[in-house]
Amino acid sequence: MSIKKHFLIVLCLGWLFSNIISAQSTYQLGVLPSINLNYKLRNDWSANFKIESRQLLQRGTFNSDVDKSYQYVLTDYSWIVARKIGLNARLSGGYLFRFREGQATHRLIQQYTIIQRLPSLRLAHRIVTDQTFSDSDDTEYRLRYRLATEIPLNGQSADPKEFYIKISNEYLNSLQSAEYDLEIRVVPLLGYAVTDKQKVEFGLDYRVNSFLDKNARHSFWISLNWFFEM
Amino acid sequence: MLKHTIIGIVFFLFGIGTHPLFAQVKYEKESRLKEKDVPSIALDFIDSLAIKKKVKWYLEVGFNRTSIESKFKMNNHKYSIEFDTLGNLEDIELQIKWDELNKTLQDSIDFHLREDCKKFIVRRIQIQYSGDRSVLLPKIKTGESAEDYMIKYELVVKCCYENNINLFEYLFSNSGQKLKVSQIVFKNSSHLEY
Repeated sequence: MSIKKHFLIVLCLGWLFSNIISAQSTYQLGVLPSINLNYKLRNDWSANFKIESRQLLQRGTFNSDVDKSYQYVLTDYSWIVARKIGLNARLSGGYLFRFREGQATHRLIQQYTIIQRLPSLRLAHRIVTDQTFSDSDDTEYRLRYRLATEIPLNGQSADPKEFYIKISNEYLNSLQSAEYDLEIRVVPLLGYAVTDKQKVEFGLDYRVNSFLDKNARHSFWISLNWFFEM
Repeated sequence: MLKHTIIGIVFFLFGIGTHPLFAQVKYEKESRLKEKDVPSIALDFIDSLAIKKKVKWYLEVGFNRTSIESKFKMNNHKYSIEFDTLGNLEDIELQIKWDELNKTLQDSIDFHLREDCKKFIVRRIQIQYSGDRSVLLPKIKTGESAEDYMIKYELVVKCCYENNINLFEYLFSNSGQKLKVSQIVFKNSSHLEY
């Protein structure tokens, strides 16, 4: 790659980050607990049921006012049915129901995941398309890509009673009322395999959006996940 | 007796065991082991190889046996040397390529895999040496050994059969006889998918 191209990339990244961390950027801080139940069905089929709730602890503008009042934000309920379509790939479809301030939101989800098994870590590529419908807003269409990895802290895989690190990075392209937005998520978590069928994870779920043409909006969610295989 | 008869009838009715790929499941729990916890006989064996690269030690717990395994790279090959919990040498595995197998062996393995799978991909091949420590040490150091040792081949194979696709570990003798097949069971990955 030429020096000119390098310079252009550095310039673009500089512009991106100067916008992202500008003083007018807003932020919110809260907790994001979730419960994930997974059922193995017959003939390579499986199902996932997830409940996730958002509760706000603090919000404001960087270097300015802060509102530290507690606020319950929403709860998501999602059902996904998946079918194994290769040795490591799965095709899924599902529905999410969101309840926020007395208003219902419906989302249809289509998902493709493929797991790469490397000698001492697993990489999961996930591509999702979803469509969100509600009475008050136009339909939102999203295209998401997430790369997640699990790094065992002992041995070559996370066995029962062992810790692991899970890091994911997701890019969400959204189109609503002809307006495009990009959200970036970075989620570093510390996980613990309680048994072969149970895992708990704790860490930060960082999200930033609206940074393309407005002041960036940062979200810092303290994430607590519980996964259970049935 | 009645219990065994019922199980036998169920197997017969559902045709379980009729497919050539009726394989046992391979279960192994592997955790890192510190060098200070490795038996000295095993450490001595590895030291005598004068390996320049880092040696990683693991404790491997299976359904009915526990072993200690060292993994390292030497002469551009990946080695895995297995010892029992007292440090006695069990076998030496060395990763090789399909082209490194002789033609007769390739044909025999190919025949067995075609018998079991509609389609298959060989993901990994390891040549497995087992024998006395004094015989295997010169073998691994110089590639030559005057005395007898046993050679087997362990293959990890992605196999499509009936309407399934799974990963299997095959063990073949030096003459290409199929000795054992185990299905490799993956750990669930729902926490990476949802």
